[in-house]
Amino acid sequence: MFRNYIKIALRGLVKHRAYSFINILGLATGMAVTLLIGLWVYHEASYDRFLPDYEQVYQIKRHYTIEGETHTIEAIALPLVEIMENDIPGIAHVALSDWGNAHSLMVGETKLSSQGYFVGEDFLQILKYPLLRGEPATVLNDPNSIVLTEQTATALFGDADPMGQAVKLDNSQELTVSGILRDVPGNSTMQFSYLLPFSLLENISPYVREARNEWLVNSFMLYLGLAPGVDQEQITPLIENILAEKSPDLKPYDPRLSLQPAADWHLYGRYENGRPAGGYIEYVRLFGIIGLLVLIIACINFMNLATARSEKRAKEVGVRKAIGSKRKHLIVQFLSESLLLTTVSFALGILLVYLVLEPFNQLVGSEIRIPFDQPLFWLLMVAYLLLTALLAGSRPAFYLSSFNAVRVLKGGMQKQRSAVWGRKALVLIQFSCSIALIISTLIIYQQIRHVQDRPTGYLRDRLMMSEMSEDLNRNYEAIKADLLGSGLVEQVAKASGSASEINFFTIISNWPGRNPDRAHLEIGAVRASETYFKTMGMEIIAGRDFKSNLEADSHSVILNEAAIRQLQLDDPIGQTINWNRNQNVTIVGVVKDAILLSPFTPVHPTLFAPSFNHESSILYRLSPNVSPREAIPQLAEIFDRYNPAFPYEYQFADEAYARKFQLELLVGKLAGLFAGLAIFVSCLGLFGLAAFMAEQRRKEIGIRKVLGATLMQIWLLLSREFLLLVLISCVLATPLALYFLQDWLLQYDYRISISPLTFVLAGLLALIITVITISFQAIRAGTARPVDSLRSE
Amino acid sequence: MISIHNIAKRYRTDEVETTALNGLSLEVKPGEFVAIMGPSGCGKSTLLNILGLLDEADGGQFLLDGIDVSRYNENRRAELRMEKIGFVFQNFNLIDELTVYENVELPLLYNGIKAGERKKRVEYVLDKVQIMHRRNHYPTQLSGGQQQRVAVARAVINQPAIILADEPTGNLDSQNGNEVMQLLTELNESGTTIVMVTHSEHDARFSHRIVRMLDGQTVAESVLV
Repeated sequence: MFRNYIKIALRGLVKHRAYSFINILGLATGMAVTLLIGLWVYHEASYDRFLPDYEQVYQIKRHYTIEGETHTIEAIALPLVEIMENDIPGIAHVALSDWGNAHSLMVGETKLSSQGYFVGEDFLQILKYPLLRGEPATVLNDPNSIVLTEQTATALFGDADPMGQAVKLDNSQELTVSGILRDVPGNSTMQFSYLLPFSLLENISPYVREARNEWLVNSFMLYLGLAPGVDQEQITPLIENILAEKSPDLKPYDPRLSLQPAADWHLYGRYENGRPAGGYIEYVRLFGIIGLLVLIIACINFMNLATARSEKRAKEVGVRKAIGSKRKHLIVQFLSESLLLTTVSFALGILLVYLVLEPFNQLVGSEIRIPFDQPLFWLLMVAYLLLTALLAGSRPAFYLSSFNAVRVLKGGMQKQRSAVWGRKALVLIQFSCSIALIISTLIIYQQIRHVQDRPTGYLRDRLMMSEMSEDLNRNYEAIKADLLGSGLVEQVAKASGSASEINFFTIISNWPGRNPDRAHLEIGAVRASETYFKTMGMEIIAGRDFKSNLEADSHSVILNEAAIRQLQLDDPIGQTINWNRNQNVTIVGVVKDAILLSPFTPVHPTLFAPSFNHESSILYRLSPNVSPREAIPQLAEIFDRYNPAFPYEYQFADEAYARKFQLELLVGKLAGLFAGLAIFVSCLGLFGLAAFMAEQRRKEIGIRKVLGATLMQIWLLLSREFLLLVLISCVLATPLALYFLQDWLLQYDYRISISPLTFVLAGLLALIITVITISFQAIRAGTARPVDSLRSE
Repeated sequence: MISIHNIAKRYRTDEVETTALNGLSLEVKPGEFVAIMGPSGCGKSTLLNILGLLDEADGGQFLLDGIDVSRYNENRRAELRMEKIGFVFQNFNLIDELTVYENVELPLLYNGIKAGERKKRVEYVLDKVQIMHRRNHYPTQLSGGQQQRVAVARAVINQPAIILADEPTGNLDSQNGNEVMQLLTELNESGTTIVMVTHSEHDARFSHRIVRMLDGQTVAESVLV
C-alpha cells in the first residue's frame, strides 16, 4: 500500500512539474534556513561545554552598588584567593587569570605575537582543556614554564619536539615548554595560543605582588572548580558576603560575590542590578524564532498550494472512497506525499546549507560545520523531516480526505468557503511575518546609520595605533623622533588606551560644590602624553592643552564635557579635584566629548592625566599625502628597530571604530537575509496560488473578455484579493515589529525614534513585490485567447 | 439482496430545498439485472449513490442482505463498499496517475490481499475484459471504451455481489457501448447483481427489469425476462 502511495506521489510530482518546483524550492529554502539557524544556535549553545566536567566550573562575579545602581564585573581582589582556597568547603580548585594579552614568543629567529593568559597553577584542573603532553596538575607549577597549543608549538618549533625547549617571552623572560595543549576550539570563550604561570606575572610585575593583600585593587579574574557533588546553591551563601566582612572600605557599596557557571559564560554575559539579564542568548532566541517563522512560511506554501489544487485531487479522493478506501487510508496517503516532497526538499536544503556554510561562517564569524558524522545529528534530522512533513501535510491530508465522495464524483465540487478562508488566513500569517522582518531590517539599519553618523569627537582619518611593548615604552622618544623624521607621520602620542578604548576606571571623590549626599563620580581615566589631543584631533574647548614639558603639568588634568556636566562645575578651569586615592589635581582644560567607548551610549565622563609611565598604546597619524600601503613597510622597519621581539602590528582608528558596530551590523545583515528569504518564499507561494486562481477562473475570464473586459480589468480582478491581503498584513505586521524592536532599541541609550514612514516604506516594498509576483499570472490570463478557455468547457 | 422502504433524500442549499427522493421503495433480488430510467433530475443517481453507500438517506430503511445499514458510520460503509459493491461510472473515474494494472489492483490493496494473489486476480480480470495488452498504459492513453472496460475490471476485482453502474455507456459510441453492455451481461450471468442507471432504452433492454422514476418516486416497472 505504502508503495502505491509513493508511486502515485512520485508520478504526481513529475506530472505537475511547476507545482512541484514551487513547493520544493520553497520548502527547501525554508528547511535550509531553519537548519542553518539551528546549527548556529547549537554552536552558540555549545560554548565551553566541550570542557570535561564543565558543570563544576564557575567564575566569580562581583557586584557593587553606587547610587542605587548595581554594577557587575569579573575583576576581583587577590586576597580573595586564599579565602576561597582555605576557608570555603566544597571548592576543589581555585585559579586566577589575567585578562589575556598579546605577547611575543621567540625561538631563535622565529617570532610570533599572539594572545595568551597568565593563569593559576590549578587552572587546567578547573578548565580541563585537553593536554597532549604534560600533566594538568603540574604543567603550570614552575614560574618559568609555558604551555603551548599544538598550533603554536608547530609555528615555533616545526616538527621538532617542543617539550623542554626554551621560549623567550616579550624579549625578556626565558621560559621552558612544559606542556602541549590541543588547539582551543572556536566555541571556547577563552581564546589563547599559550598559557603562562600566574607566578611568573607576580615575579615580573611588582604591582601584582603589591596587590596580594590589597582589597581595593581588582585586576584579575577568578575561576573555581567545585568538588564533585557540590553545586552553586551550596557555595553561594558561603561566599556572598565575604567582601563586606573582610573589607570595611567596601561596605558602603554593598559588595556581593556570585558564581556564574561555565555553560552560561557565552550566552548570559549581561547583568542588570546584580542578576543575569541575558546577553547573546537574546539574539540566539530571536534568530531561533525567525528560523521557525521561515519554516512555517514555507510549510504554509505547501498547505495552500495543496488545498488550492484540491479540485484536481477531488476526483481521486472520490474514486478511492467509492472502491473502499477509508479516511485513514487517505490521510496516510496524503501525509506520505508530504513526506516524499519534504524529503526531496530536505536533501536540497542540506545541499544548500552545505554550499552557503562557508560564506555564512564568514558573515557571522563562527566555525559552524554540519556534523555529518554524528548519529545524533541524523536522528534529529529524521525528527526534523517528519515534523516538517507533518506540519506541511496535515492540513491538506485532513482537508482532502474529508471530501464527500458523491459530490466530488458528480463533479459538483463546490468552493469550500472554510478552505478559502483558511488559505487567506495563512497568506496573512506569511506576509505579516515577512513584512515585520522587512520593517525590522529597515529599523536596525536606521539605528546603525544613526549611530554611525554621530560625531565621534576625534578624527579617525589616517589615525593608526599599535600596542606598546616594554621595548617600545623604553624607546618611546627615539621611535617618536624616527617616525616624525621619516615624514610618514605628522603626530605621535602615547596613552593608556587606543582611540577606541578606555582601560581604567576610577573615581573622583571630591570637587568644589559637591553635594555631600553624593559619594563620588565614577570616571574613565586616560593617561596621555603631551601630544595626545593633537594626535587624536580632539578639540580643547576651554583652558589649555598639556604643556610640552609634561613635568610642569604633573598635577594637572583635563576633563571632557561629560565629566564637567556630571560635576556641575560652572567655571571648571583652575578648580581642584580629588581623584585616584587622594590625589589633588587642578583642572587646566576641558576637551570636547569624544566617543572612546560604545557609540551607542552617551559619552562616558573621562579624565585625562599626564603620562609618566609605561603605556599600552602608541598613536600616530599619517601625513596627509602618504599612502598607507606604501607607508606600512617603512613603518614596520622603524618599529622593528625598537621592538625586535614583536612583529609590527597596527590598526587603523576608523576600522577599530567600525568594529564597534559588529554585533549590530551582524544582526542587521542576518535580519535582512532572513527577511529577503521569507519574502521570497512567501512570494513563491503567492505565485503558485495566483496561477491556480487564474486557472480556476479561466472560463470566467474567457466570458468576461468576450463581453469586452480589458487586460487592466482582468489584472485587477485577479490581483485585487491578494493586494488586499498584503495590505492587511502590513497592518498586522506593524504591532508585531514594534513589539520586538522597541525592546531591542531600549538597550541603546543613543537611539532613533521609530518613524511611521518606515512602516509605509516596508508596506510599499511588500506591495511592489506582490504586484510583480502576481501580475505575471494575471497578465498571462488576461492575454490568453478567450476561445481556448471556453472551448475546453 | 437489496431492500429499501420509503427512502427520502433532500438537498439543501442556503435558500433552496430540493427533494431528490420522496418515499421511494425498491426490492432487488440476488442475481437480478435492474435498469433504472427516468428524466434528468428525477433522482436516479441519488438512488444509486444511496444503494452504493456513498450517500445517506434522510429517512426510510435500507436492508442489504437483510441487515439494516442505514445508520452505519463511514468506516463500516467503506468496509461494506469494499466487500460487496463495485461501481462503474459514466465518466470512468480512473486515477490518471496510475496505470491500467495499478487502477484495477487498487481495491485489492485496500482489501489487504497479498501480492501474489493480487497479480493473479488482476491479470485474470484484465484478460476477461480484453485489456491485458494495455496493462502498462495510463488511462489518458486509452479510448473511452477501453477506459470503461478498465473501470468494469476494477469494479469486479473484489468479486462484489452487486455492481452499480451509473450510465456506463453515456460517454461511449454505440460499438464501445455495446461491448461494455455485453461485459455487464456476462457478469450478471455469472451471478452478479447489477443495478444500472441509464437514459438509453437500448441499454435498458439488456436488463431483466426496468424501473421508471419521476420526481423521486418509482412510477412504473416493466419486466423483460
